[in-house]
Amino acid sequence: MDERKLLRAVVTAGEIMLVSGAEVHRVEDTMNYMLAHAGCETAETVVYTTGILVSLITASHEPLTFVKRISERSTNINRIYLVNDISRRFCAGTLTVDEVLAELEKASRAVQYSRLAKSAGIVGVAAFFSPIFGGGVPDFAGAALVGVFLALANRISIRFKLNDFCANAFGALVAAFSASALGDLFPMMQSDVMIISSIMTLVPGVTFTTAIRDTLNGDYMAGAARMTEAVVVALAVAAGVGSGLFLYQMMGGAMR
Amino acid sequence: MTDTVIQVACAFFAVLMFAAVLEVPRKQKPLAALCGAIAWWSYLMIYNFSHSSLRAAFVSTLVVAVISHRLARIRKAPVTVFLIPGILPAVPGAAIYRCVYYLIRNNSYATTYYLTQTLQIAGAMAMAIFITDSFSRLFQLRHENRGKRL
Repeated sequence: MDERKLLRAVVTAGEIMLVSGAEVHRVEDTMNYMLAHAGCETAETVVYTTGILVSLITASHEPLTFVKRISERSTNINRIYLVNDISRRFCAGTLTVDEVLAELEKASRAVQYSRLAKSAGIVGVAAFFSPIFGGGVPDFAGAALVGVFLALANRISIRFKLNDFCANAFGALVAAFSASALGDLFPMMQSDVMIISSIMTLVPGVTFTTAIRDTLNGDYMAGAARMTEAVVVALAVAAGVGSGLFLYQMMGGAMR
Repeated sequence: MTDTVIQVACAFFAVLMFAAVLEVPRKQKPLAALCGAIAWWSYLMIYNFSHSSLRAAFVSTLVVAVISHRLARIRKAPVTVFLIPGILPAVPGAAIYRCVYYLIRNNSYATTYYLTQTLQIAGAMAMAIFITDSFSRLFQLRHENRGKRL
């Protein structure tokens, strides 16, 4: 068994899961299962929200360590699903280490939905969340329109490779501005409802809940890191909405 | 009653739409959206009954976590695939945004209010998921031990 290759496969699996937003203990579990299956008795994995460390003792009693820095995170459930499947097959003995590496390479680039489908998703979320926040039929239509602007803003952010903070703030700014304008144009629409339902795709609700789950699981570092992440994202969104509203007021409520 | 039906239907479609943003596997997408709808339905039921968003968030997450664990077994997929879409409608995203928004608007009363709400709801939901995870691990262990004894 080539331990270097195994180590690379294990770290790559962990990296894909962590980048795709899996909880820390799930990443550690998957990596430990793979190492245990390969017969590494003296292996240690340490996963932080911002990095992975794996160290093992080879058959010739040499220590072997791999450190991987993780700098970006988003939610991609499909990749978690694929890596889980690969590790399951590896542990069942139907995949060799080389095949695992090849499959992981494929999984790390797996994309299911086109850009258009994602934009449609943003519009749909904006529209369908408005009744949950107490909106009526006009708000539904208005929120869908705000969602269109938000999706466009999202495309622009990707095009100009904006970092996460700026992308979130820019999206929130566009949403708040267009929602205020719509609210003034059509008095039966509540701009408040339209803003809150359209930014549901930006807001870090799941991140915050996962942070508390990490903490309850005893991963205090990961929990604290994720909680900070949630606060930073919320700050970006709030700053964006704040400046969007301010901008609209400064223009004298141009639509009034 | 019609309001509940409309809200639950909207939760279903909202989660279905969210699935594209979160890259939920195509095959599991309808079931994931169903999880979201069930979660929101139980949330509304308990909210109408007890008028406490805390209790509603806790019990609805408990329901959806148990369902996610069963579905994960049946569909041979990680629990996350059903759990994350399932908790989406109840998660305190709006509250955490409002908390920070009022913080930068220097409204400390509203900040405290929404901060408390965020911590309570996220805490209740995380607790519900944690309890379900622990119990499922317990049953799994018993299952494995039984296999060894035979």
